[in-house]
Amino acid sequence: MWPRRLSGGDAMQEKNISKDNFEQCLKCNLCATVCPMMAANPHYPGPKQAGPDGERYRLKDPKFFDLTLKYCLNCKRCEVACPSGVKVGDIIQKARLAYARQHNPLRDFTLASTDLVGSIAVPFSTIVNPVMASPAVKTLMDSVLSVDKHRSFPKYARNCFTTWMKREAASQQEKFTRFVTYFHGCYVNYNFPSLGQDLVTVMNACNYGVHIPDKERCCGVAMISNGFSAKARRNAMTNLKAFRKTDETILTTSSTCTFTMRDEYENVLGIDTSDVRDRILLATKWLYDKIERGEISLAFKSGYHKKITYHTACHMNKMGWAIYSTELLRMIPGVELTVPGQKCCGIAGTFGFKKENYTYSQKIGQELFDTLKALEPEVVACDCETCKWQIEMSTGLTVMNPISILAEAIDVEATRKLNSR
Amino acid sequence: MNQYDVIIIGGGITGVGTARDCALRGLKVLLLARGDLTAGATGRNHGLLHSGARYAVTDRDSAAECIRENKILRRIAAHCVEPTGGLFITLPEDDLSYQDNFIKCCIDAGIKAEAIDPKEALKMEPSVNPALIGAVKVPDASVDPFRLATANALDAKLHGAVILTYHEVVSFIKDKNWIVGVQARDTRTGKTEKYYAPLTVNAAGIWGQNIAGMAGCQIKMLPAKGSLLIFGHRVNNMVINRCRKPANADILVPGDVVCVIGTTSDKVPMEECDDIRVTGDEVQLLLKEGCLLSPSLAHTRILRAYAGVRPLVASDDDPTGRKTSRGIVLLDHDRRDGIPGFISITGGKLTSYRLMGEMATDLVCDKLGRRSRCRTAELPLPGSEKELFDSAKGLRIAEKAAIGRQGTMVSKMDFSHKSEILCECEHVTRAEIAYAAKYLDVHNMMDLRRRTRVGMGTCQGSFCMKKVAAALARELGCPERTEEFIREYIEERWKGMAPVCWGESLCEAEYMRKLYADKKE
Amino acid sequence: MKFDVIIIGGGLAGCTAGVALQEAGLRCAIVAEGLSLHECPREKFIELGGTIFPGDRVTGGHIVGRKVKWVETRNLDGTLLEADNFILATGKFFSRGLISNMNEIYEPVFGCDVKYDKNPAKWVSQSFNDSQPFEKFGVITDAVGQVSIQGNTVENLYAAGEILCGERDIVSSALDVAAQIVGR
Repeated sequence: MWPRRLSGGDAMQEKNISKDNFEQCLKCNLCATVCPMMAANPHYPGPKQAGPDGERYRLKDPKFFDLTLKYCLNCKRCEVACPSGVKVGDIIQKARLAYARQHNPLRDFTLASTDLVGSIAVPFSTIVNPVMASPAVKTLMDSVLSVDKHRSFPKYARNCFTTWMKREAASQQEKFTRFVTYFHGCYVNYNFPSLGQDLVTVMNACNYGVHIPDKERCCGVAMISNGFSAKARRNAMTNLKAFRKTDETILTTSSTCTFTMRDEYENVLGIDTSDVRDRILLATKWLYDKIERGEISLAFKSGYHKKITYHTACHMNKMGWAIYSTELLRMIPGVELTVPGQKCCGIAGTFGFKKENYTYSQKIGQELFDTLKALEPEVVACDCETCKWQIEMSTGLTVMNPISILAEAIDVEATRKLNSR
Repeated sequence: MNQYDVIIIGGGITGVGTARDCALRGLKVLLLARGDLTAGATGRNHGLLHSGARYAVTDRDSAAECIRENKILRRIAAHCVEPTGGLFITLPEDDLSYQDNFIKCCIDAGIKAEAIDPKEALKMEPSVNPALIGAVKVPDASVDPFRLATANALDAKLHGAVILTYHEVVSFIKDKNWIVGVQARDTRTGKTEKYYAPLTVNAAGIWGQNIAGMAGCQIKMLPAKGSLLIFGHRVNNMVINRCRKPANADILVPGDVVCVIGTTSDKVPMEECDDIRVTGDEVQLLLKEGCLLSPSLAHTRILRAYAGVRPLVASDDDPTGRKTSRGIVLLDHDRRDGIPGFISITGGKLTSYRLMGEMATDLVCDKLGRRSRCRTAELPLPGSEKELFDSAKGLRIAEKAAIGRQGTMVSKMDFSHKSEILCECEHVTRAEIAYAAKYLDVHNMMDLRRRTRVGMGTCQGSFCMKKVAAALARELGCPERTEEFIREYIEERWKGMAPVCWGESLCEAEYMRKLYADKKE
Repeated sequence: MKFDVIIIGGGLAGCTAGVALQEAGLRCAIVAEGLSLHECPREKFIELGGTIFPGDRVTGGHIVGRKVKWVETRNLDGTLLEADNFILATGKFFSRGLISNMNEIYEPVFGCDVKYDKNPAKWVSQSFNDSQPFEKFGVITDAVGQVSIQGNTVENLYAAGEILCGERDIVSSALDVAAQIVGR
């Protein structure tokens, strides 16, 4: 029994509660010392002011909403830094959803609608990719849509991951007796199906079959950050409904999707996820825990060698799960791993694609880019796809998801044997 | 030569209200305040602009007076008043039959009181105790007494009045039995000076008893201590009262970004009025009763506790002092005590300050043989000439907060050069501090707090005290006083924090000590 | 996840102890909810191979006999943190190492025995610069720095830094505890 005494009752002034703990803020300003935006942009009032300080005034009158809150990257580094448990980032996100008007509705809608745009683009990927990459189109997007011309949209895949799954892999999954459900996310589905394929490889080697959710929508992160809360809520409900149909663990390969579904649904959108939240896990955490409990074993190829630097995405840092990815990578013989201190890359999903944010985005990421370049890794490992775009674009280094590195490093046959007992 | 038409003693709302009225009527006015403006009862109450409903059953005249003044202040002091509306709720332990008579008395007094369904009340004010069995909506509002007094003082000055704060009257100058002036000591320099006027008005609130004594007559004040608690943010957006005979701790008022529960009521000896502190028992009582109005107070952070002394006056016909009057008391000491040149204005309440000023000024003008009409009910106070807040959309939060506090006077603030926010909890910029230092009789951090809310927020000044003190000292041209400003201010903040020092307040206290405590060698 | 020592609290005391223990060859992890007001040797701790769980909070654990077996945290969600020894270095009120309400003061992680004045009116002095009683409240430890829960000493749970009652120096109390653990 845990002997800790928490009176836990409802006695007078036993414990003070305020929405997102905004009133627990002691004004120490430690959050301001870690805010990447504050350091790069003098117009941003910083997490304390935009969050708990502003909240007191917004409670008096919503007219106190400050437009500069749009600069918040939602990296949640303020929450990690806060010694008082104030949900600084959530306060800012909620204020934005409640009060902000879109600055550029067409552009923001396009960026936020990853499902819609992806499902249109994939069938025409051979046409869309070169067109999107052409300087003329980039200039056009820059001036018409205010999407910065320095940005390259991630290429669209020829076939969606789901199509591949149905055509190539689904039938083989039924050979297994244990299953996980894989929430692939938009990026895997439309842009990078090979990561999804890698996950299927690893899971199958571990003697788990992979299902995909009955009906999956974008987790909604881009909708939340662009102020489309009703759409985000609809997506959330669709996803949660699909999760509730199964008892299987829901695995993801994206830190941001995981974070959004586990935390933002409840904390920002106000949806009760208590019945499924604990089942939504990043694949690396699930694997690590299974390996630690002796339920899964991995066998690795001999002679594998790679110099890897792990970049901790902001949402990984917030979830506190980077340790699972790095410990997994450390299990691979022949991996030389460095983990520099956590710094934001500056992209923050769709934020960095917007013309007005490009300079801030690059300024924020500069320190990370310099660090990574100096370490000269063969690949950068990272659990976040938007960090991947930003780091690849800004440093020329290759970025891989830890699951893809595992898929590359394990001896599939030997692993299968180890786990088929 | 220090010659004036009228000298007003007292820097509370009555004093500045009277000063404004006299100045508007063309008199040459001197106001002497022993400390800062609003340092007494004016700055130590609920900040409630009564609709009069609270007095409707017990004192119809006061109630009628309140609703008349309430309507006037909404007009002339728009930037100080927030038209929140008020609820009088009946709880299961109260007698619901009180409500019908209450509404009838309100309507008799001219107060629009309307019974509403408890469910409707809960929708209008979600923080109200959901156990309520009855609710009446009345036109209560919240008023910022600091702002209101400041605006009156500012307008008096704009019309030629001289305001000297930190000037304590030490004696009266008499010609035979006529009072022809006062001798006052500048409490900051210790220097005394003589000031002359054919008429002196005693508007010193509870301390008016001493002033009258000095003049050679007697007013019996009955100091009643009222303690209040300030919570960290707004729990309620409407004033919440109990619908029963007025009692302890039965009003919860939203004021700017906080809310205030009060008050207790206990007689205190006159000698204790200068340094009253809130006791643990009072805190318990306030919390217990407060939670009946709004249960969420049970788990809302308390920022501080404070207490004021109501200037209750013993009725003139009852020398025992048992019978008090809550009404306005205007004393012509020439007729009452045979002391010409001296009048006293006392009693009353924050809501009726303007009327008190008008009554006193009428008597002043009468005595001086001046004929002049009172215009304080028509002319808006400086800051309230027009509504700026609604058009403040694109502005930064600090500029909006400044508009909320100073109204149109923001035009005198230099946001382009002094935009830096110094007090972050309350979003006070260097520009607003510079403005206050220049126009609003600010001599130290406490004065600045009353004018701008500096340090009134969640951290009680912990985080920004140094920056603010340095900025103020610079604006006042005395950078060497920065440390002294901080020391004085911390003690003042500590006084309010100490009675409620648990939970976050204790965390904050530890933080404040880490930053500012004298380091042991 | 298994470590030699788990330190709860990433401030000056926690990091100082962590550095000393890493240098002595022990594997340490620090569960650090938020940053500290003090300059802390956090970077050095990481350079020495220490593990940090930033922004995390211990939410429960398991005591068998007179020893803490493991603790679990808010973020790690099912992963147990095991260790031979544990150090409580969560600071005083500001960092929520001690929690107060209008009646009592307690230590929220383990419910360790705390020394404080039972009369809340005596927690603070009237004047800011007077000595403040609350600054001397804190967790009670024995001669080797071990804490007790309801009077029973927990043999592998130490406390260091500001959370201690009395007036102990942060750094030296952390080094003392580290030396005790290394010496065992």
